[in-house]
Amino acid sequence: MNTRDLVLAALFAAIIVALGLLPPITLGFIPVPITAQSLGVMLAGVVLGSRRGVTAVLLVLLLAAIGLPVLSGGRGGLAVFAAPTTGFLIGWVFAVLATGLLAERLVKPSQNATIQTLGFFGAAVAGGVLVLYAFGITYLAFITGIGMSKAFLGSMAFIPGDLLKAAIAALAGRAVMAGYPLLPART
Amino acid sequence: MNSLYVAGSSFLHRLPPRPKLILLVLVSLSIFLTRSLPVLGCAAAAAVLLYATLGIGWRHSWVRLRPILLTIAIVAFATLLLNSATDGAIVLLRLATLMLVAAAVTATTPIGAFIDEVTLAARPLERIGLVKAADIGLAVGLVIRFVPEVISRYQALRQAHQARGLKPRPATIVVPLIIQTLKSADEIAAAIDARGIRGQTGLRNPQEARS
Repeated sequence: MNTRDLVLAALFAAIIVALGLLPPITLGFIPVPITAQSLGVMLAGVVLGSRRGVTAVLLVLLLAAIGLPVLSGGRGGLAVFAAPTTGFLIGWVFAVLATGLLAERLVKPSQNATIQTLGFFGAAVAGGVLVLYAFGITYLAFITGIGMSKAFLGSMAFIPGDLLKAAIAALAGRAVMAGYPLLPART
Repeated sequence: MNSLYVAGSSFLHRLPPRPKLILLVLVSLSIFLTRSLPVLGCAAAAAVLLYATLGIGWRHSWVRLRPILLTIAIVAFATLLLNSATDGAIVLLRLATLMLVAAAVTATTPIGAFIDEVTLAARPLERIGLVKAADIGLAVGLVIRFVPEVISRYQALRQAHQARGLKPRPATIVVPLIIQTLKSADEIAAAIDARGIRGQTGLRNPQEARS
């Protein structure tokens, strides 16, 4: 990893932290308040790709682990890794990996804007929803012993918000690609 | 950004970070080996006592622990409704114990000691060529330095929206925020290489630093 990639990952980690400091917003049609921090995880995948994206997310988790209040709501410290929702934090790493790998393969500079946006949306949903919830729900089911199906039902309320975030990440990812392309092209 | 470290001179404060982290790992493994309520109750009481020795004070402790305690309480209550009261109590005691011990380690270990420990732990990874251990401290410093920068950029963008009578929307704020922030990467990388902070990379391989 050269110095520029390291700096890009660190700057994106700062963006993810800053997104967590914004107040959570409640949308009219979803009862649960959503925070912008998991949007940052999807954005890291679509903007930076897999390698730098994973580095950025690992940096955020490292900062949280060493006791900085970098997670949404000012949470931090080793205690956040002892919560029932820890699976979603661990899942971030694999979510950004999946989103990044897919974004690198699905989106090419030669495609038109609609196809690029759809490619980014697919990558963000696959990583930021499917992979993330696979980790989050499995951990929740394991730690509480309530079983996978009940854990799944309990997490359902957050899925509409996350689909909306995937759409925002896709639009923003496409706009950043047009303005300041960073995604490594795959052949 | 303020760290969650609290200055003090308790037994845990004086202990080096490694035994504390080993203790945390042992606690996290052992509380999942038993389902006995008395044993878990004793563990939780011991964790409360451990946290009380830090001298943080009840009010301040409550403010620090509240968000995670709330999640634990909600999940324990849901388990009680879905399964049984015993299962709910087990979840509550296990997670509360683990959370208190973890919070005690965080409150008694300064950031610098943690970074030293992480750098040391990364040495084996460095040998197989996965990371450069010294980069970890550098990257952590960069993130801490740039969080306030990103926040002031966000506020400037929001004011720009308001000045033009536009409603701030995620998409119209996030895109300029990302582009503005990442555009400074080239200058920062050049500054790091010019000072030789990452060892020999900048000198030995100047084209790699630019690419």
